[in-house]
Amino acid sequence: MSYKKEITISPTTRIEGHGKVTIVLDAFGNVSDAHFYATEIRGFDYFLKEMEAERLPFIISRICGVCSTAHVIASVKAIEGVYGTEITETARKLRELLLMAQIISNHSLVFFFLILPDFWFSLEEESSKRNIFQIMREKPEIGKKAIALRTFGTRILDAVGKREVHVVSVIPGGLINPLKEREREELLKMSENACAITREALELGKELFEKNWADFRKAGDCRTYYMALTKDSAIEFYDSKIRIINLEGETMSEFAAQDYMEHIEEKSYEWTFAKFAYLKALGWPKGIVQVGPTARMNVNKRATTELANKELEEFKRRFGSPAYATLLFDYARLIDLMYACERARELLEDEGLTRTDTRVKVKPKGGRGIGVVEAPRGTLAHEYVLTRSGHLKNMRLIIPTQVNNAAINVNVKDAAMEFIHYGEIKPGLLNRIEMVIRAYDPCIKCATRRVNEDLRVEITNSEGELIRTL
Amino acid sequence: MKVNIISLTCCAGCVSSFLNAGDALLEILSGDFEIVYSPTFVDLKEVPEVDLAIVEGGVRTEADEKLIKEVRAKSRILVALGICATHGGITSLGNILSVKKLLEKEYFVLDTSKLPELKDLMYPVCNFVDVDYYLPGCPPMPFLIVHSLKSIVSGKTPIRHQSVVCTECYRKIIPAKLDRLYGIYEKEADPQLCLVSQGFICLGSLTREGCGAPCPRAGFTCFGCRGPADPLLYRSRDLYAFLVNVISKRTGISESEVKKELYRNPFIFHTFIFSKFERFKARERVI
Repeated sequence: MSYKKEITISPTTRIEGHGKVTIVLDAFGNVSDAHFYATEIRGFDYFLKEMEAERLPFIISRICGVCSTAHVIASVKAIEGVYGTEITETARKLRELLLMAQIISNHSLVFFFLILPDFWFSLEEESSKRNIFQIMREKPEIGKKAIALRTFGTRILDAVGKREVHVVSVIPGGLINPLKEREREELLKMSENACAITREALELGKELFEKNWADFRKAGDCRTYYMALTKDSAIEFYDSKIRIINLEGETMSEFAAQDYMEHIEEKSYEWTFAKFAYLKALGWPKGIVQVGPTARMNVNKRATTELANKELEEFKRRFGSPAYATLLFDYARLIDLMYACERARELLEDEGLTRTDTRVKVKPKGGRGIGVVEAPRGTLAHEYVLTRSGHLKNMRLIIPTQVNNAAINVNVKDAAMEFIHYGEIKPGLLNRIEMVIRAYDPCIKCATRRVNEDLRVEITNSEGELIRTL
Repeated sequence: MKVNIISLTCCAGCVSSFLNAGDALLEILSGDFEIVYSPTFVDLKEVPEVDLAIVEGGVRTEADEKLIKEVRAKSRILVALGICATHGGITSLGNILSVKKLLEKEYFVLDTSKLPELKDLMYPVCNFVDVDYYLPGCPPMPFLIVHSLKSIVSGKTPIRHQSVVCTECYRKIIPAKLDRLYGIYEKEADPQLCLVSQGFICLGSLTREGCGAPCPRAGFTCFGCRGPADPLLYRSRDLYAFLVNVISKRTGISESEVKKELYRNPFIFHTFIFSKFERFKARERVI
């Protein structure tokens, strides 16, 4: 009796970047392996060799158009690390505001455009209708709110960063332009509405989540270590220490950004362009670690803003700490969004934000520097080694999706095992697999900057013959 | 109108930019504009026949080539959105290296039965298919994308931008007497004066307008993300001489000195256009 031996999903949809999933079946028709992979590669790490340091931030920004601001800031921080530059308080605040704007524009897009259709429609709904455009046709207010929230983020990026995608004003030494009082007032006014929309999104998210919780729990969990930035155990995006917690939720280690690379190792496989990052001290695969929204909730004990803190407490009460269920990423992302809106408003309320001391003079020199920030998808690190003449000698980037890559693969395999028994495929496989991948909001663009990635699901037999593509 | 949004090798910044258009985006989506295929937003797995295909990204792999050819065959109008699709973009900087070597260094073995074969270089889409409109930029500004798409949807030719970024920049060009050129971070720029006459290497004088000059307005040099303007489109070997001439005139530094400075940084004006073009013949189709 012959069984179908390899299932492919390609391209994986409602995900940023090109991805693909392959599920391998054994002779009995049970899942023996499953991979989520990237089929795209660009080669940034190579062609940037010997590039002048001053051109790095704006070129590196092009790794990812979705989280470009986080890349620019990490890049500039790494260069400042080499130069030994201390930026002003005003510049620090403006950069933090930019990161909040990045979180707002990204998370609003992910929640409304990518995730919401999964909850909004029943499983039986035609796949051609499971998208935001259909929701907008049925309920135009949702679309309006999604766009209004995203516009708050992009207006900040435009006012402070001077371009919405690939900001230009952030440079080593601070920011080129101070914020104008008129702009601060306009943004502050917008922040009220943004906070209100986020509160509604949270209510909507929780309601839909509650309804589907039984299914969500089934979507599996992946018990791993978690890592995120933390400032006295509070959620932090721009600066401060990196903390890793173990399976029990205890702090395993806490260290400064400069030591980041000593804690992380990378591994590559022949079937994907995206590398895997893991904890060096524990080795592969024991050292699999996750970053991103759930990690931020698990690593931290509180948030410094009122509503986000309340939501964080509720989250912990309900799901424990650390919370493991994979689809909680979708929930935690909304708490991130709440924090980002509140924090942006808090920063904008400060009249000192428009001070003109946004820039200090840098003294270029050679050496090694690291910049770490919390990007929308988790902890992002850039490490550069510059020559004395100011050219790039070496570069190492650890991207959130690379860190989560292992957990995503484990999750895909779990989902496949649940739906496939003795060659029999239960309905809903495709959707489930895509939902767990989507939860991580993987950015294949980032993970495969090196050369070009694509996401698909294929079913092959253990001899590698292709059986079917979903 | 049925619309496809296709991503080839890129950073997804162009579609992000489109989504940043705010109310104008809502307006376009509520009109005759139905996105039927887009792996980023819609669950459809097969490329359907459509009226309009919006393509971001360039061709880096065999899979990209196959996809763009399929998309072309199934679309009435094809718009190349962003500098990766029109000129190769940042990824084309990788063309200075052998991809094979690059892969051997990075990944011990790659299983080509699972991963698409890489092409030797990064190409713009016009090397493989006919393009109806080129909309360069990294990324093009949201209003530029929306205006162009609106015209296309209503069957009109979009407004073309033929001149250079300097025409959209408010800075005053006053020839100066400088002794050397400066890096972007080396000194603070005067808010009123042309960046080139302050010794910064700003590419506004070569680069296609239409963006509104956000970078030089912010005190950051233009780095050429809209590609060459009309008069320079087919004479790319002259870009270098032209730039040397402009910088020398505005700074008072001799041409030979400017050349020496520019040689130190080979990427200065190729950042986004380091690719190999073919069939990029229709100037009047560049928006």
